[in-house]
Order: sequence, then C-alpha cells, then structure tokens
Amino acid sequence: MSTPTLARAPRAGGPATVPVARTHRRLRPGRVALYAVLGLLTVVYVAPLLWAVSSSFKDRSDIFAFPPALVPDPATLDNYVNLLATQPFWRWMLMSTVVAVVSTVATVFLCSLAGFGFAKYEFRGKRVLFDVMFSSLAIPFAVIVVPLFVLVAKLGLANPFFALVVPWVAPAFGIFMMRQYTEQSVPDEILDAARIDGCSELRTFLSVVMPLLRPAVGALAVWSFLNSYNTLLWPLVIIAEPEFYTVPLGLQALFGAEGRQYDLVMAGSVLAAVPALIVFFVLRKQLVNGLTAGAVKG
Amino acid sequence: MTKPSPTTDALRTPGIPRRRDQRQWAPYLFISPFFLLFTVFMVVPVGAGIYLSLTDWAGLGSPEYVGLANYSRLLRDASFGAALANTAFYTVFAMVVVLPLALLIALALDAKGLRLRDFFRLTYFMPVVLSPIVIALIFGLVFDGEYGLLNATLEALFGVGGVSWLTDPWWARVVVVVLVLWRWTGYLTIFFLAGLQNIPRELHEAAELDGAGVVRRFFAVTVPQLKPVTAFIAVTMLVNTAQIFEEPFLLTQGGPGEATLSVSMFVYRAGFQRQELGYAAAAGVVMFVIVFVLGRLGTRAFGVGRNR
Repeated sequence: MSTPTLARAPRAGGPATVPVARTHRRLRPGRVALYAVLGLLTVVYVAPLLWAVSSSFKDRSDIFAFPPALVPDPATLDNYVNLLATQPFWRWMLMSTVVAVVSTVATVFLCSLAGFGFAKYEFRGKRVLFDVMFSSLAIPFAVIVVPLFVLVAKLGLANPFFALVVPWVAPAFGIFMMRQYTEQSVPDEILDAARIDGCSELRTFLSVVMPLLRPAVGALAVWSFLNSYNTLLWPLVIIAEPEFYTVPLGLQALFGAEGRQYDLVMAGSVLAAVPALIVFFVLRKQLVNGLTAGAVKG
Repeated sequence: MTKPSPTTDALRTPGIPRRRDQRQWAPYLFISPFFLLFTVFMVVPVGAGIYLSLTDWAGLGSPEYVGLANYSRLLRDASFGAALANTAFYTVFAMVVVLPLALLIALALDAKGLRLRDFFRLTYFMPVVLSPIVIALIFGLVFDGEYGLLNATLEALFGVGGVSWLTDPWWARVVVVVLVLWRWTGYLTIFFLAGLQNIPRELHEAAELDGAGVVRRFFAVTVPQLKPVTAFIAVTMLVNTAQIFEEPFLLTQGGPGEATLSVSMFVYRAGFQRQELGYAAAAGVVMFVIVFVLGRLGTRAFGVGRNR
C-alpha cells in the first residue's frame, strides 16, 4: 500500500512540463477558486470546533451573548473548575479509556487473526462464512439493542466491563480490513518458510504475520478505540449506575440534568475530544491509509 | 495455495504430517472467535428479537404471546411512520447529497500539484473522530434558536435572524441533515480520494488520446473505476444513517413533535422509556428487514467484499 503522496509524486514530476505548468497553473483563476473553496470548507470544519473551545472558556451568561465574540472576554476557567468539582468527570474518562483500550487490544488481535484466516487459507465453507461475516455489517445496532439488552441482563452479564467490551471485539469491518491488508502484504513464501522452520500455524501468525500487519493494525486500533470511546446508545441502555458512566453517557446525563445548559457540557466536550484528537493526530496517516486500503481494492 | 508444493513436501521431516492437519483446522480456529461472538451477540439477539416482537412484555414476568399484534400496531402508529419517513429522508439525503459532495471534494483534492492536500484531507476527516454527542452539543450552540452563533451571524450580516432552527419541523430536519453532512462528508472523501489515486494513470491518458474531454473521462474512466469504493461507501453510509440516533436524541429529542424522530430513537423510546419491549423489538425487526435487504441488494449489485 503506497501512500497517496508517494503514488502522486511521479505524476507531478514530468521533467519537461513541470516549471511551465507550475507558473501557468498558479495564475489560473480555476486554481484560485479551488483554493478558495477548499479554504472555505476548512472554515466550515474548524469554526464550530473553535467556537466550542471558545465557549467553554466563557462565563455562563456570555455563551449566548450578542454580538458573538470568538475571544472570550472575560476568559474564565470556571466551567472547567465547576465541571471537575461537581461531576466525577475523571471517573467517566477513566471508564471510557479503560474500556476503549481493552476493546482495542482484543479487537486488533481477533480481527488480525480472523483476517489472516480468511486471507491465507483455503477451507471448506470459506466463501459462505466470509459472506455471513461480511453481511453482518448490514445489521443495524438498533435492531438488536432490545433483545441484546434482555439477553445480557437475563444472563447476568450486565457488568459494564463485560457488556461494553466483549460483544464488540470482533467487528466484521475490522476483519474485512485485515483480510484485505493481509492478502496484499503477506507473501505466501514467508508463510511456507516459517512452516518449514517448524512453526505452528498460530506461531507463524504471531511471529511472522503480525509484524507485517503493523500499518493496518495501527489503523484498526485507532478505528476501534474511537468507536468504543465515542459510542453512546449501548452504554445508555446497559449502564444504570452513574459510577460506571462513560464520557458520552456522562455528558448526555449532565446536559439533561442541568436543564440543557451549555457551560459545563462544553468544558466536558472539549476535554472529551482531547484524547480522541490526540490519538487521531498521532496515528492520522496510518488511520486514513489503512482504512481506505481495503475498500479501494474491494 | 494450501496444497504444499512438491519442494516443500520434500523438505518435510517425518512427523510433520500432523502439521498439515493443523493447516486444515487452523483457519477455523482463527475465525471462530468472530463466529462465536456473532452467534451469541447477533444471531441469538436477532432470533430473540423476532420472538419478542410477537409478544407483549414490559420486562417483568414472562412475555405474553400476541401474534402479529405488534406489527399491525406499528402499521397504524403514526409515530413509527414518522420515524421511518424521517430516517428515509436522512438516508436518501446521505446518498444523494453527502456521497456526491464527498466525491466532488475528493476530485478537488485530487487536482494535480495541489498544495496542503494532507492538511485539507485531515481537516475534513476530523469530525468523524469526535463523539456524535460532542458534535450534537457543539451544534446546539450554533443552531440555538434565540442566541445561537448562526442566528447571531445572520443578524449581524444581513439583519435577519431569529430562525427557529430547532423548533421548526423542517429546519430541525435540516439541522440533523447538516450534522450528518458535517460528520460524514470528510470521512467519505478520504475513501473516494484513495480510490481516485488508485486509478491507473494510463486509463486517463488512453481516454485523452481518444479525444475524451474532462466530463467524458469522468464518466467513462473515473466512475467505473470507483465502483468498488463507491459500493463500500454506499453500504457504510446506508447502515450508518439508517441507525442515526445521537443527533436527534440530543439536539431535538426527536422534536418538534416527532419531526426529527428516527427509527433508532423510536426503538429506544419504546423499549427503554416506555418499557414496551415487544413493540420495540417489532420495530427493530422491521428496520432489520429494510436495512438488511437494501444492504444485501447493494453489496450484491456491486459485489463488495469479493476479491476475485
């Protein structure tokens, strides 16, 4: 899987045409319009986020002040202080993070393993099993939420750590992604070599295949972490005790309880977004390239 | 590739045949965690949902069998009709507006020699990283009917404001759709962009030599080449928007009235706020049928997930 930038390089580099085309292009009104549109879109994407950050530093009465001011005046940390003083925000954060990390580790392992199984073996029923796996992508969560809740509650599995993690650690999307990547980047020869060296199939997977999957694993890890970290509906249904609230659940409850006041929830939203954005920025290239690799080759 | 080549066979030491057995069952072992979880947490719930949908049950005692009563009630329930219509509206919007828009942006980002391509791509992608609940809260600030950022801006620029974004039925639907647009467009763009960059350059050159113009090349080369990625995106979007929940739940509570109520919200409300578990399950089954059939038709038509 080449990165788009690399794939692009030779195209831009036709030796004779480059200098001429460059100067020519820079002056073209089409180029200006293109950058204007892309710039405008950037504003559309960034402005609401900036506005949220700014609002979180405003006094409660200033959040909806007219005319709207992007720079808070006076800027205050009250919202953050109040949030952390009155709500177990760090607890929510801890809960969300622990659940997301555990889910991610399990997801990455199970999806890589299954992806490898589908990519590198021929076995009876493979096609049907793959189709079944793939079509589970088209089962909306709302369909199973009621019976799943009943099932989990009746079986006494409503323990938050179990219910928030276990049912979700083998997502079909992840398996599909890992299969695509394994097919593209794990040569059969290397598997044969490992087998000749006497590795068991599992050993081959762990010590030979896994290292080769690293880029896709990064993408899947981010995807899985964010999915778990951001989800609301299932925690909303399954978690009754406030001490096990995740961040989205806590924010939702706070927003409802405070009569839809924005001061505390904005501070909470900003804090909640920070880990997600950090994970995203650190692993952005891997995420974007890894996510698309499977779908493109489809 | 499973059949070992003669050379590998020759290299096998005695006692290795067991390893070939291992190769027979190893793949089953590797994919078994998925199928175990899939069975317990998806197949069984879908089955249980179908059973529950034929009962009347508030969660206590045992479910009382009522036949198809829940379904006939759904047919007559205006709320469910509204939820279906709204969800269809969101989904159609996603297909007809978000998808083409994402393709347009991807084409723009694919322009030769574009600077800051990665910056734009990542900026547009960012919303999908955030929790929908956070996005809904942020847009609550923007669309607040009295003092929201949007109204204030309109007021300042054009002297017109006071649009009841969240309390007017149509504007409220538009707001939900804007959130869908904001959240998903950049995400889909990266898929289209990767697809565009994957198109062999020779195809375009050949078409150009044949005298095909920009538009002609777009339809003759780009569109067919993007088929797999488009299919993948379309199915993803279908399933995602069909189960939209957070945005209307938090921003409008499905209102005003039931103008923004989605099927997921309907299921949640019936099951967990009104304790009509059988009724909620029936709504889930109806949705399952619709989405699953559409999804399967989509994947069939496009052949997604097949490599060869």
